[in-house]
Amino acid sequence: MKQLISLDINGEVHELAVAPQDSLLQVLREELGLIGTKKGCDTGGCGCCTVQIDGQAVYSCMTYAMSVQDKPVVTIEGIANNGKLDPLQQAFIDAGAVQCGYCTCGTIMAARELLASVPDPDEDQIRHAIAGNLCRCTGYQKIVDAIKLAATNSA
Amino acid sequence: MSLTTLDNYFLPGSGSEVIELLQEYGERAMLVAGGSFVHGLAARDLLPGIDVFIDIQKLGLADVTVGSEGLQIGAMTRLAQLAKVPEVQDAPEWGAAKDALRYPPVQIMNTATVGGNIAAACPYFDLPTAFLAIGGNVLAQSNAGTREISLDDFFTGLFENSLGQDEFITELALSRPVPGSASAFIKLETNANDLAIVNAAVQITVESGICQSARVALGGGVNEIPLRSAAAEKLLKGQSLTDALLKEAGQAVQADISPMADHRASAEYRSAMARVLTERALHRAITRLN
Ligand SMILES: Cc1cc2nc3c(=O)[nH]c(=O)nc-3n(C[C@H](O)[C@H](O)[C@H](O)COP(=O)(O)OP(=O)(O)OC[C@H]3O[C@@H](n4cnc5c(N)ncnc54)[C@H](O)[C@@H]3O)c2cc1C
Ligand code: FES
Ligand code: FES
Repeated sequence: MKQLISLDINGEVHELAVAPQDSLLQVLREELGLIGTKKGCDTGGCGCCTVQIDGQAVYSCMTYAMSVQDKPVVTIEGIANNGKLDPLQQAFIDAGAVQCGYCTCGTIMAARELLASVPDPDEDQIRHAIAGNLCRCTGYQKIVDAIKLAATNSA
Repeated sequence: MSLTTLDNYFLPGSGSEVIELLQEYGERAMLVAGGSFVHGLAARDLLPGIDVFIDIQKLGLADVTVGSEGLQIGAMTRLAQLAKVPEVQDAPEWGAAKDALRYPPVQIMNTATVGGNIAAACPYFDLPTAFLAIGGNVLAQSNAGTREISLDDFFTGLFENSLGQDEFITELALSRPVPGSASAFIKLETNANDLAIVNAAVQITVESGICQSARVALGGGVNEIPLRSAAAEKLLKGQSLTDALLKEAGQAVQADISPMADHRASAEYRSAMARVLTERALHRAITRLN
């Protein structure tokens, strides 16, 4: 039985009917068309579905839509500011940290929580923050470089 | 995506509402805290007969208090929140908890609750082992009131605990050990996102060079439930903790476990690693004493 709920996504409140077992990921992609958030494993662990809820990085595939009513959710679509890319998005481009791109949005969302609390992270802190995000292409070094670059550019 | 189809998803605002719902829906209902374990079961169609979720996030239960008695952790405390508590970061007596909270990825730290990690009674989780070594009680609420269950009696079988049908955890109360105590935890894993192949945690109390008490706990599939090794604890107590004795303690745990074999490891490998991790955890705890 579907229930009517309201979700705060990227600062916009959406009223929509969800089934009680629907994940936030499903609702983002299938109901709201926000397909920047990717579906990989769908069971928690690959990281490409990462979004921020109340500023914290979480796997949206294992978060029930019912459980995030009225909590601010931010997805990759919500981080650019007035048409200007977020420093992390720009740094991923500049450092060449995107290959196939499937992991990128999730990794940026995880890195975003890190930079909000640790503006100048060292390599260990960066690698720890993205340990829940798998990348099959880059070998991670350029991702780490990109996050360092974003930190430098935001300073 | 969930293979389980639900009829309802409740978000009760009080403990008594939770109990009423548990009583009304009985076997059809499942409590949801962070949902990270429940989701995995639903995704694999492992929740036969369940069509009602009772999400307890609105109960609060997310405070951590450190006092002379010990560490009181609200059931809904997220792992990330517990890891940030200054005493957990610094004090040798909570070292096992600090170590155990180093492994999960950030996204799980932000989602998973302490109550859910314990209640799941999953042999591969880390807090049960760490908390067994430290010692303490599970506080549970039901229609009959509130009761304390020793962690030693809480885990009753694979994914089974001693909670009644209408009972839920409100708090984990870890006992403060006497001065001169330290604890440590180590997990063996295949990668940063995987559950334990084996984990081990110890707590020791040392006075004038002699071990006054020792608690040695193991998990990660060394049995269907996390457990303590009476043999290792007995061996250490009253002795000077020499390198040779720590090695013997590692060997002693092997008699107390009956490891499982699965896709992560064979029983023989688990047994060998239980020996190694116990010895290493003891060394780590001793370092914390100095
Ligand atoms: C990618 C990944 C990596 C992980 N890595 C680790 C790791 O390194 N170490 C580790 O220990 N764990 C790890 N986990 C497991 C994770 O920590 C657990 O799934 C989590 O702790 C469960 O807590 P939860 O709040 O999400 O529980 P839920 O999924 O909400 O609930 C778990 C179980 O407990 C019951 N329950 C929950 N709260 C209560 C309560 N208050 N009273 C009674 N019953 C209750 C539920 O009904 C359910 O049966 C990992 C999981 C994933 C997906
Ligand atoms: S799709 Fe969510 S962690 Fe893989
Ligand atoms: S760029 Fe392809 S998975 Fe990371």
